[in-house]
Formats: sequence, C-alpha cells, structure tokens
Amino acid sequence: MSFWDPGWRLVIGTLVVLAGVVAVAIYEGLYNIAADVPHTQPVYWLLETARERSVAVRARDIVVPNDLDDANRISKGRIFGDVQWRHLAPGMERTEISGGLYPRAPELRRGTDLTPAEQFWIIKHGVKQTGMPAWGVTHDDELLWDVVAFVRKLPELTAEQYETMVKTAPKHEELMREMEPRAGSHHGDHSHE
Amino acid sequence: MRNLRLRNTLFRLLFLAGFAGVPLTLALGHEGHHVKCNGTTINAVKADIQAMGEGEAKTLATNELQAARDMMAKNDTEGCKSHIHSAMEATEK
Repeated sequence: MSFWDPGWRLVIGTLVVLAGVVAVAIYEGLYNIAADVPHTQPVYWLLETARERSVAVRARDIVVPNDLDDANRISKGRIFGDVQWRHLAPGMERTEISGGLYPRAPELRRGTDLTPAEQFWIIKHGVKQTGMPAWGVTHDDELLWDVVAFVRKLPELTAEQYETMVKTAPKHEELMREMEPRAGSHHGDHSHE
Repeated sequence: MRNLRLRNTLFRLLFLAGFAGVPLTLALGHEGHHVKCNGTTINAVKADIQAMGEGEAKTLATNELQAARDMMAKNDTEGCKSHIHSAMEATEK
C-alpha cells in the first residue's frame, strides 16, 4: 500500500483536521478550567486513570519499611499540621479549603485504596494540578515514611485520640533538626526507590 | 447615687442587647447548614461525588443530584434543595 493511496490520504487528512480542531479549541479557551466547574465524567475518568496508572507504575519498586506500625513513627508523621485543612482530620467538618479544591483532596480519615508505596510516592513527589506538593524536595525519605505511617493510622483514630496525638507529637522544628544529620549520609533519597 | 443608677441602667441595656443578639447569632450559625439551589452548589456536590469511591453511597448521591437538577429545571426550588441536601448527606457517608 503506497503512501499516496486514497486510504492513507483519508487517515492523514482526518488526523490533520482533528489536530486543527483541537488547536483552535485550546486557543479559543473553550475548555473551562475553573475549579468550581467539575470536569465532564469522561475527562475526569481519563485524568484519574492516567494519575492512578502513573503512580502505580512508579511506586511498584519502592521497598516499604516493615515498621509502619511503630508508635514513634506514627507520632512523628504528623509533621505537616496544616494538612488537616485539606485532608481533614478525624472529627473535622469539611473546611473552606477542602470544599474549594478541585479535584477534591482525599479525606484521609476515610482510609484509602492506595498501597503504602503509592502513598509514599505521592507524598514525596506531589501530583501536578492538584495542589499536592512534593514534600521530598524539603524532607528526607525517613520523615516521609513517618508521614505514611501516620496517614495509614488516621482512619482508626477518634477525634479525641487525634487531639491527644497532636498535643504529644514532636514539633516540626525538632523533626527538621533530626533530619539534618541524615542529609549527609545519602540514606534518604535512594534507599527505598 | 445618680452614677449608680446610670450604671445599673447601662448594665441592663447591655444585658438586653446581649439577649437580642442571641437569635441573630444562632441564625448566622445555622446558615452553614442551608443549601442553595443553584449551579454552584450542584457543581460542588458533583465534585464531591466524583471523589467518592464506587458503592451504594455514590449511587445514591448521584441519583439525588440528578433529581435536584430535574427539580431545578422545573423551577421547584424547595424540591431541588431537598434533593441537594440528600445528595450532600450521601457524600458524607
């Protein structure tokens, strides 16, 4: 079949026209990116599936520490205190931030289908266009595994238990100081990935 | 003596003003639970539903939201509000 056969010309012509239509639609700003207007279901499905697969593929070789149930780890894992406004701690009503984010931030008190490795990857690298930051830029892996341990414990906690944990958890500054000596050992970044 | 009477009167007035403010405070506090029947609210509930895991609660919320849309199209504001409220409750499950 030659390149100049009518069949090929039809396929290529259709693709060129489609690309042109998409380019015009983008340039004219036809797609509404406002956070208070949800995606259509097909677009939402497409983006969600792309995100889930991207995380699953990149997290599959991460080695999970076997001490995620350790009380000390869990306590240290509450390092990002302001996260509760987006992800909601046990006993919290929806907040102005959690209700205005799109896509909605997962409510961690409800539990998750993600594996610990997938949670670690998301916390470390963040997720584009969601408001989820890459905590790995400023925190080492040990501390991020503490966060995974804490996040996995959250659904089991009552509001009272959560409050007690908040009061007794180490302060952010203390944990950052603990992290400094580890920074030179190169233990953090590649040990679990 | 006159000062004492003036002070008592002022305290009484403050006391009454405090009581008069209670219903207003309660009304404002309760405002958060009211739902409005408009596109913004419907979109917000739709975003909540999209974030839900598959299951009975999601199906219920989706059906309630569709019912709210139908009511809004028929200009039945109260019916619309009622279904939005039910949809919101389902998203909380």
